Amino acid sequence: MNIKSYVNLYELLQVNPSTREENRAFGLTQVMLKNKPVEQILAWVEKHKYRLKKPFLSETFSSYLYRVTFALVLIAFALGLLAGMGLLSYSGHEPVNVIYFIAVAIFIPLFTMILTFLAMLRAHSAESVLVHISPAFWMEKMLGFLPGKIEEKIKALQINPLLANWVIIRRAQIIVLFFSFGLLLSLLGVVVTKDIAFAWSTTLHISPETFHGFLHTVAFPWREIAPSAVPSLELIEQSQYFRLGDKLDEEMIAHASQLGEWWKFLAFSTLFYAIFLRILMFILASFGFSFAVKQSLLTLKGTTKLLREINEPIISTHAKKREKAFIADDESYSQIVNRLDASYDGIQGWAIPQSELLVLGDSMKIISPEHFEVGGANSFEEDSEVIFKSHGEVLLFVKAWEPPTMDFVDYLTELTDKIDKVVVVPIGTVENHYETTPKEIDVWENKLSSLGDEKVWLKRSSAKALSREALNAES
Amino acid sequence: MPSRRQTASSHPKFAVVGHPNKGKSSIVSALALDDSVQISDTPGTTTKKRSFPLSVDGKVLYELFDTPGFQRARRVLAWLEKHDVPANKKHEVVQAFIDTHKDDERFNDEIELLEPIMDGAGIIYVVDGSQPYGEEYETEMEILRWTGQPSMALINHIDETDYSEEWKRALEHYFKMVRTFNPMQTNFEQHMSILESMAQLKEEWIAPLKASIKLFKQYQEQMLERSASLVTRLVYESVSAVEKLSFYTHEASEEERQKIERNYKDRLRDLEVTTQKHIEEIWNHGHLQKEEKVLTFEGMDLFSEETASVFGLTRKELLITGVTSGAVTGAGIDLLFAGHTLLLGGAIGALVGGTGAYFGFNELSEVKVLGQTMGRRYLEMGPMENRNFPYILLGRTMYHTMKVAQTSHAKREVFDIEMDQTFKEKWLDDISRKSLEKYHKKFRSGNALEAEELKVYEALIKRILKHLIDA
Repeated sequence: MNIKSYVNLYELLQVNPSTREENRAFGLTQVMLKNKPVEQILAWVEKHKYRLKKPFLSETFSSYLYRVTFALVLIAFALGLLAGMGLLSYSGHEPVNVIYFIAVAIFIPLFTMILTFLAMLRAHSAESVLVHISPAFWMEKMLGFLPGKIEEKIKALQINPLLANWVIIRRAQIIVLFFSFGLLLSLLGVVVTKDIAFAWSTTLHISPETFHGFLHTVAFPWREIAPSAVPSLELIEQSQYFRLGDKLDEEMIAHASQLGEWWKFLAFSTLFYAIFLRILMFILASFGFSFAVKQSLLTLKGTTKLLREINEPIISTHAKKREKAFIADDESYSQIVNRLDASYDGIQGWAIPQSELLVLGDSMKIISPEHFEVGGANSFEEDSEVIFKSHGEVLLFVKAWEPPTMDFVDYLTELTDKIDKVVVVPIGTVENHYETTPKEIDVWENKLSSLGDEKVWLKRSSAKALSREALNAES
Repeated sequence: MPSRRQTASSHPKFAVVGHPNKGKSSIVSALALDDSVQISDTPGTTTKKRSFPLSVDGKVLYELFDTPGFQRARRVLAWLEKHDVPANKKHEVVQAFIDTHKDDERFNDEIELLEPIMDGAGIIYVVDGSQPYGEEYETEMEILRWTGQPSMALINHIDETDYSEEWKRALEHYFKMVRTFNPMQTNFEQHMSILESMAQLKEEWIAPLKASIKLFKQYQEQMLERSASLVTRLVYESVSAVEKLSFYTHEASEEERQKIERNYKDRLRDLEVTTQKHIEEIWNHGHLQKEEKVLTFEGMDLFSEETASVFGLTRKELLITGVTSGAVTGAGIDLLFAGHTLLLGGAIGALVGGTGAYFGFNELSEVKVLGQTMGRRYLEMGPMENRNFPYILLGRTMYHTMKVAQTSHAKREVFDIEMDQTFKEKWLDDISRKSLEKYHKKFRSGNALEAEELKVYEALIKRILKHLIDA
């Protein structure tokens, strides 16, 4: 798991390469990875990686990061060498003050390690100053000078701040580590090629005993295994140097061969404080980086959805086939009657009992010699008998709220074969005083319109109907 | 004559049948949580039977059929009655009718509705309880009786008038179970209750339908979780969003400053609209007809004062939230130093939080000019500094989600999000506000968030949503 996994996932989520069904199928086949979200994501990335355009952005990004880091490592190593040579530069007139080297090999690493540790604690912060002072931070800025399209792609990549911080922290450790290697190498090189007289000198009133005690403490990690790498009190006393003497102490000259013994202490200090502890910091940063990759994978936009799709059963309630679009006929019917005549040759009711027809006829003051119930619970024989008896103009009451069925259409067709005119009258419920709604009448109008039978008329009482009837009368 | 029921598959099936235009499709739409079913006042909208299987990972638990209405019921019954057979052979006559008239266009609708029944589907006979009972329905019920399949009747309440009692008296002669159901106003409990009734039709169907009920509960939970996840992402992305605009002159013009503010606002509006769309899809309301995006919430724009007054916190509430949240942070410092700070941490935190909240009431975010020294100048706006904004956005999104979740899939009219001035009181209590503020502060900081933190926020949103939807 590395930054490549993150970038690959980032890119894959942008292109959305698989359907929900495919993701669920993936979840069902990878049973071993159940409840291991990071592993599931990594396996999913591996499965779909081939869908990304080559070269992979992850490879490009990683390669640039590597190159920039490599360049910085070389620079740091060279700086380490130069710093070491500068610190150990010996003209033969004055001894080399070990305090400078101790500062660079012990105190500066310790100080930067404390800063690194604080940066690690604040790695969540997008604007962490401690991260911004790191040389590795400037690597990101260097990416701004990359050429053309790659620059665009890498710049568009929004890396989680947590991950970006850990990338910087981790790479900073590598760079500083190489600086320390340079420092150690220069120490060893100078020691091998020159005869250096080391001394210690300070303005502070520090007695050789106190300094010895301090160095003894500093050397605690190696004093048991390499006692010769801990300066003795005698060496410390002999190598104390006072600038105002203007010339070397006689005792110092007498023990000139011993003054070089300091190099062991300096080498072990560099090894332990600048290199070993830095390696530990690097390991710690690697753990942090690994944790950050995991966190970033899980917080990346689209990951939650992906994990849901992998782990949640697909519950579907939908129809498999799409429904054919229904287009309703909305034609207006030209055979509209607004006022009923005073008498008809017959009154019939579709699924309306004869008794109700009598009441209806009476209330509407329509006279007719015959009242018949048709449809409804009637048999076809009974309906045929009614049709046989029908003649002239017939008023056919229908329940407005019941849409016309094909059973009704069949009856109407048979009836119109026998008579001259039929007026279909939709009526509302008794509770509504037979009042109908325009919507109900529209349904009937549409149906009758689709029949196109000249003998069939529809009764509707509305402004629309009145105007249409007037038009009919004129024509 | 071999029965088709012998070859029927193992999962329960139900055919929703009835007279034309009595709300069969509405019922199917509500029970299948599918708003793509065509529903209209025009009879004959459904011309072919349509299957709605409830499946989990492809395994069907039960299947619902939407069917066309009876068109020539009297003719069918007349044909059946010509065959004088004992009761145990009646279903074979129905099968014979199907076989004989398969290519007869006149009986297309009857064949479509009888086929699933003869394939072993239970019958759900739908009538309209708001219209009076008619004797003509007995023909249809008689045909269904001939099939010999287990059946129940659903009285559908399409409008206010109620003829349920007379319908019940008639239906009880034909069906062993009669239930009332309003697909337009159904909720989760009513839906499950209908499923329980369907399970009672046949002993073998009890277990699969119980499993289906369990699955529906899981499905409901999934939809809630997915919505909460989207809402969380919306708030996080909106609050932490940063808009940039390059400019090439020495100083940014007023026009450029207005442009970046416009772009910033549009980006947040788009995020809100996209989330709303996804939430509608989660709740299977992808076909919801809605007014234009800017007109959502009765034309109340995300950044309008009206929206802020309905969904946002008052200055006082905001001040209290800021003070409390600041004090909590400060108290953390006090705790770290075991009280040696003389509890100053809490006091300072409260002051800072309160002041920030007070000044962050109206403005959204400062427009910053960046990159001056590097030669490439650009304006930057964001992350959101207005502390009220997350509550406004949350309020609107919660309200929309609640409405979507509570809307029946049978509804086809334009989705109207009418305002509810008391909504804020329903979802945002003091405890929730304090919990939310902690996260809003993190979102604003632009710092990386841990997956667990987002999960906790998501759980908080889910709890509030559940409370709102169930209420």
